Amino acid sequence: MSAMLQDEREDAIRMIRDSAAGIAPRGGDRRRVRALRFQAPGFDPAVWRQMGELGWIGLRVPEGQGGAGLGMGAFCALAEELGAALAPEPLVQGALSARLLAALGATAPLGRLIAGESLVLTAWQERANSLDVPGTPEAPRLFLPMAEGAQSFLVPVRAGDSCSLLLQTAEGAALALEPTQDGGSFGTLRPHGGERLGTVSTAQMEEALEEAALGTAALLLGVMEQAFAMTLDYLRTRQQFGKPIGSFQALQHRAADLKVQIALSRASIEAAAALCDRAAIPAAQRRAAIARAKARAADAALLVTRQAVQLHGGIGYTDEADIGLYLRRAMVLANQFGTAALHRRRFAAAQPEAEA
Amino acid sequence: MTDFNAMTDEDFRAEVRRFVEDEYPAHLRNPPHRLHWQEGEEWFRIVQKKGWVAPGWPRELGGMGLDASKQIILIEEYERHGVARLPDHGVIMLGPLLIRFGTEAQRARFLPRILSGEDVWCQGYSEPGAGSDLASLRTEAVLEGEDYIVNGQKIWTTLATDANWIFCLVRTDRSARKQEGISFLLIDMKSPGVTVRPIINLGLHDEFCEVFFDNVRVPRENLVGEPNRGWSMAKALLGFERIFLGSPRQSAYALARLRMLAERMGVSEEPDFQERYTRLRCDLEDHKALYETFVAVLRRGESLGADVSMLKLHQSDLFQRITELMLEIGGENAGLLKPMEGNRDLHPAGQFIEARPTTIYGGSSEIQRGILAKAVLELPG
Repeated sequence: MSAMLQDEREDAIRMIRDSAAGIAPRGGDRRRVRALRFQAPGFDPAVWRQMGELGWIGLRVPEGQGGAGLGMGAFCALAEELGAALAPEPLVQGALSARLLAALGATAPLGRLIAGESLVLTAWQERANSLDVPGTPEAPRLFLPMAEGAQSFLVPVRAGDSCSLLLQTAEGAALALEPTQDGGSFGTLRPHGGERLGTVSTAQMEEALEEAALGTAALLLGVMEQAFAMTLDYLRTRQQFGKPIGSFQALQHRAADLKVQIALSRASIEAAAALCDRAAIPAAQRRAAIARAKARAADAALLVTRQAVQLHGGIGYTDEADIGLYLRRAMVLANQFGTAALHRRRFAAAQPEAEA
Repeated sequence: MTDFNAMTDEDFRAEVRRFVEDEYPAHLRNPPHRLHWQEGEEWFRIVQKKGWVAPGWPRELGGMGLDASKQIILIEEYERHGVARLPDHGVIMLGPLLIRFGTEAQRARFLPRILSGEDVWCQGYSEPGAGSDLASLRTEAVLEGEDYIVNGQKIWTTLATDANWIFCLVRTDRSARKQEGISFLLIDMKSPGVTVRPIINLGLHDEFCEVFFDNVRVPRENLVGEPNRGWSMAKALLGFERIFLGSPRQSAYALARLRMLAERMGVSEEPDFQERYTRLRCDLEDHKALYETFVAVLRRGESLGADVSMLKLHQSDLFQRITELMLEIGGENAGLLKPMEGNRDLHPAGQFIEARPTTIYGGSSEIQRGILAKAVLELPG
């Protein structure tokens, strides 16, 4: 990448972070998060619309189709900020649908989605812990987050090297909901046909799902960063035995180890995003980088949020303490778009042995 | 003389690669232990002929004048080829210190002799009672007329048997706060009263030594900088070299040997091995990504912060975990003193032992965690 393009890319990433801080500040108002949890639809449609107005939902959509035409570097920066703010709005899922609608040239539903006027969820998942797209049209589609707030579902059906995409309205859909630990929900959809919008290649579908996995890794990075920052504050202020507990070496060393895991996660995610933003990257190379980033982020986020609760002591186990919100969010996000173990297997399959 | 900094990174990398591929002695690639001066001198002479002894020194002082980014490329290419590290304390530590804090006379006297290989330097910092707590060092230098009289003991002095000079941190003021009474002194190891005793390490190699000073007379002009300012001078020299303790090289080399061992032992396709091996591969690749972020800081011409401790902490831990898996899959072979079947690539015990000191030297992992906790995470004292 030329120095100028590199600068432009970094500027875009900075701007998107600033704009995220506007409506979803890190460590900001967690009363909003609490007010929305376990209440249908689990997020705020007004905030969703705001995200649309800011161009976030269509961030990856080409400018010619009404999007911002930005890269994965910018998208991951945004996801990180939203993760840190615990924003419940399903940005990664909305962006996945936007990407597919754009590939299909489905102008009308795309326009409404990226304006934040509607939520389109891509109902791609047939089994737990899988990134495979089902080949049967009627297979129930699982783990649709915030499905109660969706206006329509985009249902891919795989046939060999291509995927048909059907758009089904939420009205009258056979949808079953189960609440999730973070206060949202998972919907199970029994597809019933819908309007056939066209097809994308299986490779395009896989690339879109991998980008969603990377976006989820970035959400997890934000979650762990913020949980860690709150824990450091606690370590500096909480007094026991006449001094701040953060002065005890056992806790200092644990904090240092968590910091290393967070730094590895960031490096891995940002390197994967930078790779996605380069032209003509072989699919296997991109997949290996994303798989590694998602595996790292999932493990690290669970480690950091678990330890964050532990380091808060008794108060950390109360629902009243905000630190628990981060653990619950990490529990839900860690396995979305593939568990750490699944991604490590994908990495091993995608990346040939290095010479040494 | 070539202005290497004016070359593109790609051209410079190609030039270094050509140099080591054409001229590096094959039998010295990836040696299993630190080479003694005599073992590596052949390579030193080749480097000297090329004029590449001191990559970081300014050109007018006989160095290559490389900026940080080019130095990293040079070291990356050396590492990639398995080039051995020579006794290099003169080039890496003392040279930059004299260039920055020494007198004109000291520079003129010592720098050319480092470049010619006439002087081989070792570093006298640690003492039996001053390891992680280095500032509590007690080797004392007392001024008597125009000479300092030095008494005390240094330890873990790498390759002191090969060196004819040693640079030391010595206490020159017992009344001052512990960091403030320390000076930086250059001592000729042929002086009467200097005794060197090699220490055999767990690898059964005599890489480091004890050095004893018994009323050693050192001319006053061998003190570098101002008296009692040695600590801050030595600290100021902890420059970008700190990144190399976190280089992925050791782990990358070990991981490739783990793979060879797994194949030899017939476990490479077992799911349990595959799972653990893939984890280590991911750790290494993520480590490389983190390493690159610090390299990028140097490329921008900025200096490294205390967070560089993360690299050393993670690299040494990863290196050890790789060799621990070697020990496990090697079966009874893991107890062998020598490589399996005479094949240097199949030596689980050797690699395991080699990984042990990495979490101890250059600031132990516990010290690195302490640095991170205080200087980066700002946790209270």
